Amino acid sequence: MKNKIALIFNGVWSQYTFAKSPKYKEMFELIYVYDVNEEILENFVALVIPFQSNQKELMVNKEMYHKFLNAGKKIFIEGDAAEGLFGARWEDRPVNNYWWVISPDEPPIAETDYDHPVYNGLKPRHACWHTHGVYTKIPEFAKVIQSNKAGDIITWQQQFGDGLLLATTLDPIVEHGIQQITHLDNYVDKLVFWLCGEKPEGQFVFVKEDFGISL
Amino acid sequence: MLKAAVISNHVEGIENMFKSSSKIEYSLIEITKDFDPSFAEYDILIVPNGCDNIAMYKIRNSVKKFLDNGKILFCFDGWFTNWVPGNTWYMNNDLKTIDIRYHIVHDTYKLFEGIDLNKFNLSHGISGWWACGYIETQYGENILLADTWDRAIIVIDEKSTAGIMVLTASAPMADMLFGTIQEEESAWDEIGKFYQKLIDFVTEKRSVLSN
Repeated sequence: MKNKIALIFNGVWSQYTFAKSPKYKEMFELIYVYDVNEEILENFVALVIPFQSNQKELMVNKEMYHKFLNAGKKIFIEGDAAEGLFGARWEDRPVNNYWWVISPDEPPIAETDYDHPVYNGLKPRHACWHTHGVYTKIPEFAKVIQSNKAGDIITWQQQFGDGLLLATTLDPIVEHGIQQITHLDNYVDKLVFWLCGEKPEGQFVFVKEDFGISL
Repeated sequence: MLKAAVISNHVEGIENMFKSSSKIEYSLIEITKDFDPSFAEYDILIVPNGCDNIAMYKIRNSVKKFLDNGKILFCFDGWFTNWVPGNTWYMNNDLKTIDIRYHIVHDTYKLFEGIDLNKFNLSHGISGWWACGYIETQYGENILLADTWDRAIIVIDEKSTAGIMVLTASAPMADMLFGTIQEEESAWDEIGKFYQKLIDFVTEKRSVLSN
């Protein structure tokens, strides 16, 4: 596999279980957040910064991530993001992960641009489960992909040089690692194809030998 | 008053999860590249859900020593690395979360007395929302709570070390009510109540051990 994606790893179990699942493990490599350097990143065509990341350490290497984008590569960041990282302001909001039981006609995302390659062909239910906060400011020329009823921004995209940054307050990577939401293969498989041009195959399973490991 | 060290891997909101009270004083211990903290001044080490299990593996000998000195570990995380003495956590999706219902196995210290277990089972009618995966523990009598398939979900381990380990299979748990939109009846109220019972339990234990 040449087109590999680096997953910037904060030691969090759901980040680990996602990247270790046989369905995705050939496409992703966990890079511990304290081990990131330019030489390592040269091996990857794209990079994922998952929810529950180490925002403090990400800021330490901010220039490295911008250089990665400017080299024409892609970054996907989900959940929250430190304000200085990519020039957007993220704000926390209460998480509503039961709207589909209480008020199924009022999902936390109201508008979606289904022309975006990650969203093209997705059903509305596959493009929205729950959100972790909103963006209240994004870079001047960024494009809004998803927003909520109040007009707050959920997903946006920005070109940096020849590279593309896709940012969302959805959390497809860590939620897929948690395996409580059963439809996430739809979103994640489109995302992976967009990031590296490879289509994941098979079912998401856990391998018992991946647990209780010694390093 | 108990003194607790809460391990932080800088995830958003961690500073709001554990608020000091008259019973317990929390200090955030921040993980760094060369993480090698001293826990000598603390009674409890707390590893919240979503912590860094690479860093915890690096300091596994310090954790073991802390426990061997008769101290307390609260681990509410999915520890995929081998740093918790005598206990291993596994994830598994062979069984459907919609079928998950918990039952009490050995409640030696009456920790679930007065707690509505159904609030752990269901939140807004959704099951499988609380814990993730299960624990394999070397002593069956350690199991406080198990799931539909008798897999350990909460373990109280006083046998594997000289200290006390309170372990949950991942499962968000903190000294607050947090996470979802507050409504009249929230499952978080019950989680918060259970957490206070854990604090009372270890306070009592510490006073017995020190007398």
